Amino acid sequence: MTCELTLRDVRSVARIVNLAHRFNCRCTHVTANADATVTARFAFDGAAVALVRLRAQIDRIVAYEAPQ
Amino acid sequence: MNGAQAVLAALEREGVDTVFGYPGGAIMPLYDALFGHPVRHVLVRHEAAAAFAASGYARTSGRVGVCCATSGPGATNLVTGLLDAMMDSVPVVAITGQVRRELMGTDGFQEADVCAITQAVTKRNMLVSDVDSIAETLAEAFALARRGRPGPVLVDIPNDVLKAQTDVTAVPEKPPGRIGDGPRVSDAAVRDAVARIRSARRPVAIVGGGVRAGAVDLYRMFVAMLGLPHAATINALGAAASGDAAYLGMLGMHGLKAANKAVQRADVILALGMRFDDRVTGKPDRFAREATVIHADIDATEFNKIITANVALHGDLGETLRALVNELARGHVPRFDDWAAEARLLGGPLPSDRVADDVLSATDVLDRVFAALPGDAIVTTDVGQHQMWAAQRARPAHPRKYATSAGLGAMGFGFPAAVGAAYANPTVPVFAIVGDGGFQMCLPELATLRRYKIPVKIVLIDNQNLGMVRQWQELFFSERYSATNLADNPDFVAIARAYGIEAFAIDAPAGADDVIARFVAARGPALLHCACHPTENVWPMIPAGMTVDDLMEARA
Repeated sequence: MTCELTLRDVRSVARIVNLAHRFNCRCTHVTANADATVTARFAFDGAAVALVRLRAQIDRIVAYEAPQ
Repeated sequence: MNGAQAVLAALEREGVDTVFGYPGGAIMPLYDALFGHPVRHVLVRHEAAAAFAASGYARTSGRVGVCCATSGPGATNLVTGLLDAMMDSVPVVAITGQVRRELMGTDGFQEADVCAITQAVTKRNMLVSDVDSIAETLAEAFALARRGRPGPVLVDIPNDVLKAQTDVTAVPEKPPGRIGDGPRVSDAAVRDAVARIRSARRPVAIVGGGVRAGAVDLYRMFVAMLGLPHAATINALGAAASGDAAYLGMLGMHGLKAANKAVQRADVILALGMRFDDRVTGKPDRFAREATVIHADIDATEFNKIITANVALHGDLGETLRALVNELARGHVPRFDDWAAEARLLGGPLPSDRVADDVLSATDVLDRVFAALPGDAIVTTDVGQHQMWAAQRARPAHPRKYATSAGLGAMGFGFPAAVGAAYANPTVPVFAIVGDGGFQMCLPELATLRRYKIPVKIVLIDNQNLGMVRQWQELFFSERYSATNLADNPDFVAIARAYGIEAFAIDAPAGADDVIARFVAARGPALLHCACHPTENVWPMIPAGMTVDDLMEARA
């Protein structure tokens, strides 16, 4: 699974990598450019059910970061 | 003004009237600003209680609960309460002091990286490193706590930032966040859902904690319009209208048989603001196997997380229900009264585990207590057997009349949550139902009751055991009772009286009603100690990972 995200908070990159570990997925690629916003690219390997769960948690992080 | 005064100005702007907290070094400037300030501070006796009290305040009012603590241990003691709020979608803002910026990263005294620690237990956290950004940061924290699916937000402020001077107290004009803001449910999905409802033969609605976000009246209208049999998760107790004969009760592991059986036989499940917790579904691949699932939620990540949704209604639950009602009203409105009557017959009276008529049982006590409660009472519970017995019996008038740590199951929640509920609802009687295990996790809060004369009534179900764990040891661990016996409990009546709290006691059914009546009528804070039989179990029970087909109603 790959995803490209625009984040407000660069700490979320670490949070997402931690979540992948928690769900027994492997983060095979991560790059991030931090400016006013953060552009981050991830690639993950893992069981299909774990990747679905990870994607849902990533979506939640992005939603909570969205500007008010 | 300084940063601490800017914090209080921000709290006033958000309409905050009460903060639950505990002082310490790094947050002293905030406490200095609180001295004589109109925002009321309630001194709890452990920071964990501050977070639970803020949660109780929020759960029973719909307003944001606020707690504060100092750096390091003060902040880490909030963590359980924040996770509890996260799991049950409760809007809470926590403000923590932090060591001075020059000390951060030096392992300074009472330094903790609280933003790292709380990343997983909050919607977001913010470290304020510029005093001029306090006002905007707190405005964003409150908006985020309320917005969409509510939850906790933590704001960490270094000591020197609290002391620094600022003239920035205004925040840019933005529409205020509120519970219910968020995506609009799609018309096509609503039409699809209504078509499935119209063709259903055995539909069942399951309502969850999402109903607390202003959707109770619409929910009642929706189920009444259809004569729809419906069940509630523990976070939605009180959603059903009083006397609604189609209401089947709580479902799940210790839910009522009719609710669980009806869900299992349903051909359409309407899952409304609920998240298919494992305590509800048991074994997901055997849960409601014949049913089409219509799932409504404000949080899109809940769709297909546990149970596949055939129709996903993404949006505010109140708006979704309004759209469903309007769409139904445009055409044929089916009635499910016959199925509702049939569903009710799937159950029966709650199975009893009482030992003898002259032995005090917890369920007997709770039956008597619920019968004696004023109709407008708020009830909080702790976690364990008493929580389930209470949930099976409670018929609160509204979900905001009932607060329990559902998703996290945090012992020690019930009593401080009642303190928070009492501040949010000063004219309403508040009762905390607790067990002897959880009560001992927050005993010092008796001092909080005493200091502020908070008229919370505590019903202590004392079975001298960590009863739920004991029950599992009996049923699933070959009766090896490891670390669950509390036969050496202290004299709780003496403890209450030592704190200056009026105490009552019952240890037998004879005369119990009279004592309960006097306890309920007591003017100030009071404790009712109930010495109950130690081995009463919670029935019915669906063992973890099983289904209603495996439901147990008594010991094998």
